[in-house]
Amino acid sequence: MSDENLFELKAVAKRFKKGKETISIFDDLNMTIKRGDFLAIMGPSGSGKTTLLNLLGGVDQPTGGEISFDGARIDGLSEGELAKWRANNIGFIFQFYNLMPMLNAAKNVELPLLLTSLSSKQRQQRVDTALQLVGLADRAKHMPSEMSGGQLQRVAIARAVVSDPKLLLCDEPTGDLDRQTADEILEMLQLLNREFGKTIIMVTHDPAAARYASHTLHLDKGQFVDKEDDDVLQEKSA
Amino acid sequence: MSLLAQSSAVIGMNIKSLPRRLWMSLAMVLASAVVVAVLLAFLAMAKGFEATLQSAGQEDVAFFIRTGSAAELNSSVMKEQVDLLREAPGIASNENGKLVSPELYVIVDGTKKSSGTDANIPLRGMEPQGLALRHNFKLVQGRLFTPGTDELIVGEGVLRQFEGFELGNEVRFGKNRWTVVGVFSTGGNVFESELWADAKVIQTLYNRGSSYQSVRAKLTADAKLEDIQAYIKNEPRLNQEVQTEANYFAVQGEGLSYMAIFGRVISAVMALGALAGALNTMYTSVSDRAKEIATLRAIGFSNLSAFIGTMAEALVLALLGGFLGALAAFLLFDGLSTSTLSGSFTQVVFSFEMSGQLVMQGIWLALIIGFISGFFPAWRATSVPVAVAFQSRG
Amino acid sequence: MKDLYLVYKNLTRKKLRLFLTSFAIFIAFLIFAAVTALQGALNSGVEMSADNRLVVFNKINFTQPLPYAYINKVSGVDGVKNVTFANWFGGYYQEPANQVVTMAVDPDSYFEVYSELVVTPEQKANWLQNQAGVMVGERLANVNNWQIGDRIPVSSNIFSNKDGGQTWDLVVEGIFTANDPQVDTGYMVFHYKYFMETQSWGGDYVGWIVLTTDDPALNEQVAKAIDENFANSQAETDTSTEKAFNKAFIEQIGNIGLIIFGVVFMAFFTILVLVGNTMVLAIRERTGEIAVLKTLGFSSPRIFRMILTESCLLAFLGGLLGLGAAYLVVGGLSQMMARFLPNLVLGPDIVLQALGYMLLLGLITGIAPAYRALRLNIITAFARG
Repeated sequence: MSDENLFELKAVAKRFKKGKETISIFDDLNMTIKRGDFLAIMGPSGSGKTTLLNLLGGVDQPTGGEISFDGARIDGLSEGELAKWRANNIGFIFQFYNLMPMLNAAKNVELPLLLTSLSSKQRQQRVDTALQLVGLADRAKHMPSEMSGGQLQRVAIARAVVSDPKLLLCDEPTGDLDRQTADEILEMLQLLNREFGKTIIMVTHDPAAARYASHTLHLDKGQFVDKEDDDVLQEKSA
Repeated sequence: MSLLAQSSAVIGMNIKSLPRRLWMSLAMVLASAVVVAVLLAFLAMAKGFEATLQSAGQEDVAFFIRTGSAAELNSSVMKEQVDLLREAPGIASNENGKLVSPELYVIVDGTKKSSGTDANIPLRGMEPQGLALRHNFKLVQGRLFTPGTDELIVGEGVLRQFEGFELGNEVRFGKNRWTVVGVFSTGGNVFESELWADAKVIQTLYNRGSSYQSVRAKLTADAKLEDIQAYIKNEPRLNQEVQTEANYFAVQGEGLSYMAIFGRVISAVMALGALAGALNTMYTSVSDRAKEIATLRAIGFSNLSAFIGTMAEALVLALLGGFLGALAAFLLFDGLSTSTLSGSFTQVVFSFEMSGQLVMQGIWLALIIGFISGFFPAWRATSVPVAVAFQSRG
Repeated sequence: MKDLYLVYKNLTRKKLRLFLTSFAIFIAFLIFAAVTALQGALNSGVEMSADNRLVVFNKINFTQPLPYAYINKVSGVDGVKNVTFANWFGGYYQEPANQVVTMAVDPDSYFEVYSELVVTPEQKANWLQNQAGVMVGERLANVNNWQIGDRIPVSSNIFSNKDGGQTWDLVVEGIFTANDPQVDTGYMVFHYKYFMETQSWGGDYVGWIVLTTDDPALNEQVAKAIDENFANSQAETDTSTEKAFNKAFIEQIGNIGLIIFGVVFMAFFTILVLVGNTMVLAIRERTGEIAVLKTLGFSSPRIFRMILTESCLLAFLGGLLGLGAAYLVVGGLSQMMARFLPNLVLGPDIVLQALGYMLLLGLITGIAPAYRALRLNIITAFARG
């Protein structure tokens, strides 16, 4: 495994039993994700996008195969070890933001830092920086109920990057936003990818969103497929 | 659609969604039930005690004790005074002469069946006329004591609560032995908590000389208490006061009224706590159904029907609890026989008495809990914006 | 703890619910503490009994007298240290309803036997010199606002004096206190000899005899010796420890302790169910948020602790307020009811007990939702959300 690979999936399988039937989502999934990549994953409902994201995010375990992150196996880690691994390495961005409704923006952003040994002052500094980065320094004290969808997603991005993880996992980050706001959010992700070197994996339905990624993978029935009409990749790589 | 039809549609919908909030609803029923049960237990106890004492007193019996002694136990009446009182105006007679009963009692120890500890029982000495003065007196077993002997008869309450007073038994108080020759009933009142024997025998055995403690006298139909009071006042050798027997026992019966007060206070305070819980339930119920309520209103149901629906739910749950509580209290406490120390320092055997009137008090309490816990959430139900129906996201 | 802010925000996110729930807990602990204090007041006679003190009563019943001659005979029994005796006076002050516990006692030995009572030598000397003197317990003196030197008319609802009246004029010669606040000082004592000489019935009997033994281990032996001594006499005796006698007397009142316990238990149980339900509900509403916290890397045990902390905070919030209110209520009641219910205090034992129950309440109501959160699977939680 070369150093430039952040993620490496070998013969990953995910099956579960439903009644007497065994349903297989992946049988033999292989992929590598390079450091600094901005990868979009597209696919119809039921194609396994979400399961793949769960596996990559360490919230789900494969039933077979190997998943290595930064040269170390993460499949087979205990639940507690995985929690620690997620806290150290992953920033999550969700479709519906998933902010804590009773916490203001700054306190929401601070959440992942509670898992570190930083002092309260250091945490405060990091939060300020993160909020500045997403352009919401002046909204630090606002409650989620007082903010628009775009603002909420920017708070969520600040929360995802505040602990400086290597990887950002985005699950339909613009699914709940209008076009213009969505573009703003995507530009921000692009910035994080290009200027700050964050590896980003984004699951999306939206071809327009996928255009911001450096390349796109199509998932269908648990397999990556080549899509001829996929001009995004061509355009980007061109 | 009429308000009635609308409301019943909302109520129906609420009831159908109840299983979703099963535990929450059960909690409200339980809260209401416990509060009602506690209230009724205390009231039934106080009521039973009061009834036991009050039913013993008669309006047409004059009761004499020494002025200031407050209770029979502390009083004393000399033989000469008894003879003077016999001549008071307005006292009825029967074939055996004036219906006057001088009485005295000593307190003796009996062993309570419930705890195995000793408790005070009055051993009352009286003359045959004394029996004629007790309404409802009935020998249920054996025979009367023979005057001049150490025989006694035992009240049903004593028999029930204390060990060793069965017919034919010999009982021992200190050095003195007595034989139980009869069991009597007085219709459940306080006299059933007593032992009765011949007054002269008790005077002799317990060094009372010829003194008594109280005098009862049957009044003629036209007798006036004032005349007797005047008679006592004009007779310097008398230091007694007179009242009707009913009045005496009414005052004595207040002894456990603190129990009723205590019970009311405790259950009122508990009701507040239960109310808080019930309000939580109903607020949850309303927020749980916010979308349904808003949808109904969006399609034209009135605010009032949403209000009535929520209100009905609260009242039904609280009432259900109230009935369960009353039932539990009835099964657990009604007729429960117990005894306690009365104002005159002796044990009074009494039964918890659950009346329909008490149950109504419990139901009222449940209704109040239901009303308050329904009102505010129902108010909120009507103010859920209709738009919620269209934007709410699971 | 860094998570405390998060816990606090969770706790206070629904103000109305927080208010209602902590109010319910408030009520539970108010009832608990007040009722336990009440029960303690009823039982304080038992608690405060001296280990080596015995009481001798007439076997027929404690209201029956004993011959005066018994005192000397009791003194002669092996193992008996001090002996004193008392007579019930049935006292009241001004009105029959205003009862004042009054006893005619032997002035020389009374305070020796009741060694927990504190009286200055000067006051005691004055009392011994004045036949009509009375020693008043501190609490009784406070209730009636009596001072040393006051002449107080005390009436009896049992006895008459030789002038035909029922009132004795007594002079307050001293006010005794006790070495423990739980000891009852709500009564007064005056000279037995003076009482017997002035009351109209005369006689040479005493109400009961109180004695101390050299060692509590001798109690049984002494009691047996006394009762055997008087067996088959005109007045047989029943000797028991003061503790046993007080306990039996409380039991005469009936199952009040049981009833009170029942009420407290029911109140407590109801509140437990209500709070537990609310907690379960509150946490269920947060299923999605807990899944997010877990995704962010908060470990399951940490979330488990956070929820338990929250439920305990809730229990202590309502509980401490309830305890505080009970303190005020009991304080007020003990002023009002000083006459009937001595020793109504909210002692440290009740506070400790209440604190224990608060912790218990917090843990019990929190454990189910905390466990649910502990086991919460992120994927299924999100799928449902």
